[in-house]
Amino acid sequence: MSITLDQVTKRYQGSPVVNDVSVDVGEGEFFVLLGPSGSGKSTLLRAIAGLTGVDHGRIALHGRDVTHISARQRGVGLVFQNYALFRHMTVGDNIEFALRVRRMKAADRLARRKELLRLVALEGMDDRLPTQLSGGQQQRVAVARALAHKPQVLLLDEPFGALDAKIREELRRTIRQVQRELNITTVLVTHDQEEAFALADRIGVMNLGRLLECGKPDELYARPATRFVATFLGAANLLLARQTAQGIRFGATPVNIRALEKIDGTREHEVVAVLRPEEIELAPTRDNLRVNYMGLGVVEEMVFTGALERLRVRLTNGAAEAQITPPGDAAASTAMLEVTRTQHEQRTFPVTLGQSVALGVRRIHVLPTPLSSYTVCATQKAAAERLASHPFLTELASRMKTRIATRTEPALAEGTDAETPISGVAVVTPGVDTAKQIEWLLRNGAAEVLVLPEQLLPPQRVLIHWANDAARRPTLAVAASLLRHVSAEAVYVGILPEGASDTQRPVGMRTLLDARSEAQAMHGLEMRTELRFGSAAEELRRQLNDAPDQMLILGISDLADLHQNFAALFSTPPPFALMVVYRPAGSSGANER
Amino acid sequence: MAGGPSRALLDEIASRPGRDTFVSSVIKGAFITLSLLFLAALLFAPLITVFATALSKGFEMYFNSFADPDTIAAIRLTLITAAIVVPTNTVFGVAAAWAIAKFEFKGKSILITLIDLPIAVSPVISGLIYVLLFGMQGWFGLWLQEHDISIVFALPGIILATMFVTFPYVARELIPLMQQMGNDEEEAAITLGAGGIMTFFHVTLPKIRWGLLYGVILCNARAMGEFGAVSVVSGHIRGLTTTMPLHVEILYQEYNFVGAFAVASLLTLLAVLTLIIKSLIEWRQKT
Repeated sequence: MSITLDQVTKRYQGSPVVNDVSVDVGEGEFFVLLGPSGSGKSTLLRAIAGLTGVDHGRIALHGRDVTHISARQRGVGLVFQNYALFRHMTVGDNIEFALRVRRMKAADRLARRKELLRLVALEGMDDRLPTQLSGGQQQRVAVARALAHKPQVLLLDEPFGALDAKIREELRRTIRQVQRELNITTVLVTHDQEEAFALADRIGVMNLGRLLECGKPDELYARPATRFVATFLGAANLLLARQTAQGIRFGATPVNIRALEKIDGTREHEVVAVLRPEEIELAPTRDNLRVNYMGLGVVEEMVFTGALERLRVRLTNGAAEAQITPPGDAAASTAMLEVTRTQHEQRTFPVTLGQSVALGVRRIHVLPTPLSSYTVCATQKAAAERLASHPFLTELASRMKTRIATRTEPALAEGTDAETPISGVAVVTPGVDTAKQIEWLLRNGAAEVLVLPEQLLPPQRVLIHWANDAARRPTLAVAASLLRHVSAEAVYVGILPEGASDTQRPVGMRTLLDARSEAQAMHGLEMRTELRFGSAAEELRRQLNDAPDQMLILGISDLADLHQNFAALFSTPPPFALMVVYRPAGSSGANER
Repeated sequence: MAGGPSRALLDEIASRPGRDTFVSSVIKGAFITLSLLFLAALLFAPLITVFATALSKGFEMYFNSFADPDTIAAIRLTLITAAIVVPTNTVFGVAAAWAIAKFEFKGKSILITLIDLPIAVSPVISGLIYVLLFGMQGWFGLWLQEHDISIVFALPGIILATMFVTFPYVARELIPLMQQMGNDEEEAAITLGAGGIMTFFHVTLPKIRWGLLYGVILCNARAMGEFGAVSVVSGHIRGLTTTMPLHVEILYQEYNFVGAFAVASLLTLLAVLTLIIKSLIEWRQKT
């Protein structure tokens, strides 16, 4: 491996800006780190270059551990967004700088300079000053300069950021060409998904300091695992759907689609479906559709963009209630679908504003993420609405691009059952009978329950624990899904009973390591592990009382556990956030990928 | 010091449309006239007086005043002081500016405030500090006397007082410049394999050279022209501890107007030279 990052973490004033990132970049590979501004991608690049130290983790270049080696000795080439050319030196001197540092002979330097200038198509520009060059030319010089000392790795930090579209494309081609010609391992940082698609052999998408997903551009686009990647890589319509043994259902409309991924388990549950705008087809009536019908709609907006036509279609029936509306987004409060159509499609079925159309869908991708939507439950309407506007919850929902529904359930925690099953994550405030409420919600369809104290800041540390092995997988899946949207540290707490014999300890340690590698391999979740001794509930409670702003994710597979093993957690209303994941033993496969 | 809106901004404002109405041109004319009158009364008149008085008895008398050994001693003392103070403060200024512009550390804002302190404090107080510390009745007075070291009323005192008064100039000139230029070039040099010294001399220093030179010139002008602080620590011993500004005062009080104004004209020439170099640097920086 050319570049190996192992659990790299960088904190800034206590909060992680790069959070447990592990990735391998192969020899000669063009790897693009893609993410919005503030996602930590530039910090990660600077860490690879050695300009920023890391607080935790290991960085290796070509098998050599360079974590504690200075930038000077790492021998990487780095290209900055604003070129950072030495402004008082000519182009030639700029390029030769690294060679002069290495005391290379003048003749050799000249030869290398000529070679590099040819590579970036700037022959004869040797004696110009950087100020006499255009932005695109300056960046070419910067690339040549970064390559002068034959680095093992080329790092580019938003190299096209300051250039206009035409030059950007040209330079993009040059850099790709240079990279292929030298077969040099390259990492490029950008926030532009088009750039990432155009250049990358492999893309790593970052958000909130975490590396969410890595993959080939086409695979990431077609089969994202997270909402963030689905919406960040191109446009995507996210819809809540029920997944049943028969297939996908939007509200009452079943979509019998063959292109679906394998459906796991038999238990019906809520999922998040991704519909790319180009996979949606319009037709005058349902019978004219050549693909699976999903509903009727009215064309509300049309934009001509050259090759494609962009439409926004309001769903009038069918999947209308399936639309995910992030909280606080009034403009999107009605069910709108984004659709793009090619010229050919426009000619076969021209539409006008306000026209009623039938919508069909060619391909649906179901996200493997277990947290689909939030349903706030309370016995009184006012309480439910207050909880629904909880800052942490609304932040979480808007980051997850999902909706918060409210339900008034007078029967909450009483004997009678709910009339309709609760879907997604149920959210309640802590109280004296929290344990009972959780049990009631889990019995009535909720897959997870989030207990949220009113005065709660976003957690800095998330503890993860499961009661038994059956709950491990779903708990890890939920933890991974949640932690993608919260910039907190994840810690798995393994607890052995007090007085566990020495023979048990190695077993405990192995459980920890297994949990860690499973979290990393299956869910891309990096977490730390701790081994404790004592009663599980008391040990967890003690750790949660240690510091404020913590959260516990607790996995169970038997509802009785709540009262038997974890009663101590609920002895007083919990002051921390608590997510209970429940999968009855035997159907734990329901939410796996 | 460089302040106010930048030249680019002023040009931009001047080029905005709708600025050349009759009323605006009248107002413009009025303001320019006012400024010029103000300058004439406060600046040009004294400037002319200095040279007029110095040359009132003819060139011969003017040049004769420089033959006086006390005057020569004063000029030499001033040059020695500047020769020691300016390089010291340059090194300090670069170091302080580097620390402030490139690093985050506790007490950074206190350091910035402290650097500005000499500008805020009256020069007389600055001089008095050293008298209180090193004078006969001062904290270290007795110890210094026992070891036969004289600081106050001698060259070391003059240098200390001058150094104190002039140390903000280089640092204050460089801090905004270095902050604005950022770290990218230095970081690029480091990734290319350059060490700290090479990075400083080949990348940072060329980058800040004009600002640095400007700061050095201002520092030098102040070091040569300082009166208040030096006056307190010098003791006014003719031919020994009088710098040029002090010597001007002594000659003036002896009604030796030609001599006084002749020395004053040297200081004035220094000021004019400083202004010329400053304009040249600003012109260089722009191109």
